[in-house]
Amino acid sequence: MSIAAERGTEAPASGTTPPKVPGSDWSLSWQGVRTVTQLELRQRIRSTRWKVALVVWFVAVGLVTLLTSGAVSMIFADPSMGAEGAGRTMFGVVVFFVLFLGLLVAPALTAPAINGDRSAGTLATLQATLLTPAEIVVGKLLSAWLAALAFLAASVPFILWAFAVGGLPFWSLVSVLVVLGIVLGIVCAVGLGFSTLTAKTSGSAVLTYLTVGGLSVLTLVLFGLSVPLVTTTEQVRTWDVPVDYDWEDSAPPECEWRMQEQEVFHSERTWWLLAANPFVIVADAQPLPGTEEFENAADPLTLIQYGVRYARTGPAAEQDWCGDMWFSTGGDLSADPPVEEPQPSESLVWPWGLGIYLLLGAGGVVTAVRRLRIPAQRLPKGTRVA
Amino acid sequence: MTDDEGGIRTRGVRRAFGTVQAVTSVDLDARPGRVTALVGPNGSGKTTLLLMLAGLLAPDAGEVRVAGLDPAVDGRAARARIGWMPDVFGTWESLTAREVLTTVAAAYRMAPDDGARRAVELLELVHLTDLADSPAHVLSRGQKQRLGLARALVHDPDVLLLDEPASGLDPRSRVDLRRLVRRLAGAGKTVLISSHVLTELDEMADDAVFLSQGRTVRSQSVDDAAAELRAWRIAALSPGALADWLTAAGITARLEVDGSALVDLDGDEAAAALLRDAVAADVPVVSLAPAGGALEQAYLRLEEERR
Repeated sequence: MSIAAERGTEAPASGTTPPKVPGSDWSLSWQGVRTVTQLELRQRIRSTRWKVALVVWFVAVGLVTLLTSGAVSMIFADPSMGAEGAGRTMFGVVVFFVLFLGLLVAPALTAPAINGDRSAGTLATLQATLLTPAEIVVGKLLSAWLAALAFLAASVPFILWAFAVGGLPFWSLVSVLVVLGIVLGIVCAVGLGFSTLTAKTSGSAVLTYLTVGGLSVLTLVLFGLSVPLVTTTEQVRTWDVPVDYDWEDSAPPECEWRMQEQEVFHSERTWWLLAANPFVIVADAQPLPGTEEFENAADPLTLIQYGVRYARTGPAAEQDWCGDMWFSTGGDLSADPPVEEPQPSESLVWPWGLGIYLLLGAGGVVTAVRRLRIPAQRLPKGTRVA
Repeated sequence: MTDDEGGIRTRGVRRAFGTVQAVTSVDLDARPGRVTALVGPNGSGKTTLLLMLAGLLAPDAGEVRVAGLDPAVDGRAARARIGWMPDVFGTWESLTAREVLTTVAAAYRMAPDDGARRAVELLELVHLTDLADSPAHVLSRGQKQRLGLARALVHDPDVLLLDEPASGLDPRSRVDLRRLVRRLAGAGKTVLISSHVLTELDEMADDAVFLSQGRTVRSQSVDDAAAELRAWRIAALSPGALADWLTAAGITARLEVDGSALVDLDGDEAAAALLRDAVAADVPVVSLAPAGGALEQAYLRLEEERR
């Protein structure tokens, strides 16, 4: 981190060197981080609110899993649908519900972490000790993340239940859980950053919820609104019925290649907007199922994953305007039309999403550390040091 | 730049919050082995000054040396030698008194065993051993105040900054606080203590620094303050006899409704002389004592001068 390097060399006082206690604002020691984390966790564990929240979470996820299980077993009662789809659907619904709840809970874990302590008069107590700002911030982040992971752990039985219904590779379970955990941790870091920016805990909570809501909803809206911006008129090679074909004719048309002017939506230029959506990141974290599985799939994870992968691929070079009609292949039903079908991109989308998130999270941490540096030059409006 | 004298020294310290000038110009010296009182009305900048000394707030201008270090430059080294007790004592409500102290010890990089030992020592020192394992939220205000003092002492600092430590303390605890502060000064620590209970400070402090509207308006030793011209109260069995004698002797005095009189005297010797004369004149004197503490009177005089 370049900031670390920049701050790392605090100019020593000119002249004789005083007995220096090592460590700049950005230095981290495990002992310091552990002290803060332990302090935070102790307080959290002893509050009844936290226990109630965990129980409510467990019941809510349990209930949704139960209802999904019922619905899925009804929909997939027809054996032709395949048990595979049942498992995938249930898994997808439960995972998305857990992500949804997690996005609601994670901001509440850190949004009051700093400004709440400030108004309770306990922040300066820590700042006046030998703990570095970075240790206070990372310690608080770690404890909030552990709390978020506890919520995730409380939903693991239900995720496992959905997984046990079948149809998913083991790797899906692992990658989805890991990405869920990382996303929640990053939301905690963003909340921590906002917590140092506002005087009131309600202010930082609102800002964090706006950020999370923006990523979850605004990314989709922007993707939709940007369509006209990335749509261009181009000559496209199409497999089409000849222009001079007489539709009254009894003989079937013979499709042919020709260039046509078309509106082309270049989603490969805007897919990254979707990558910033937490639901897309989690959906894309599973290994891409084969096209065959996709065609039978009705589960949210696979549909979103295919959607974003197709978006990343962008428009096809050739288009089939003869459709899948029998005459497309000159009457030969077993043959495929000569048009190359677009394939979903093999390139992973979730690393991009996580990359954006890691930047956001790092921004939160850097902001928080900078705001906790003492001696304070400027105080946020409406706050006092102690 | 270090000077090995230690203690606290500020020159021309200034700090504003927005348009409000909290501290305008403070010159302060607090020497090791002595207790220095920081006296001033509400809003005179005491807490802001202490925050700057504790290294939590950056001064806009001026020179600050605490234990020979500038807290704004060598923050960490300075903080290792400063014990700060804030006026608004926030505590981690769900932690026990012992945990509060061990947590702070860990925050000062003490090994867990040392921290635990230190916590036991300090709980004993502030008489909270019985409540060591009760959560902080069951402690009374005075008990929390004592815990706050213990917290400031965890790392055995050379310089102690105590902001209103006596507020909320019962008489017994005040006596304990006074003894503890004297003992710490006796061990060579620099103690800077702010309070507006001035009679408290009289008995505790060696020196006093008076702040008003963010400025140092006077620095003096408590003994000097006591030796200055101040009011003494004289009372006799017969108020009439007292009043007559005072008039006859040409002594300016203010008669009080209870029959006693207030006389401005220039130190103890003047008081002894007054008493001798009164007794010689057969006035049945029952008491002669300073009316109020030395610091209180010095403070009130300052207030008058400023009007």
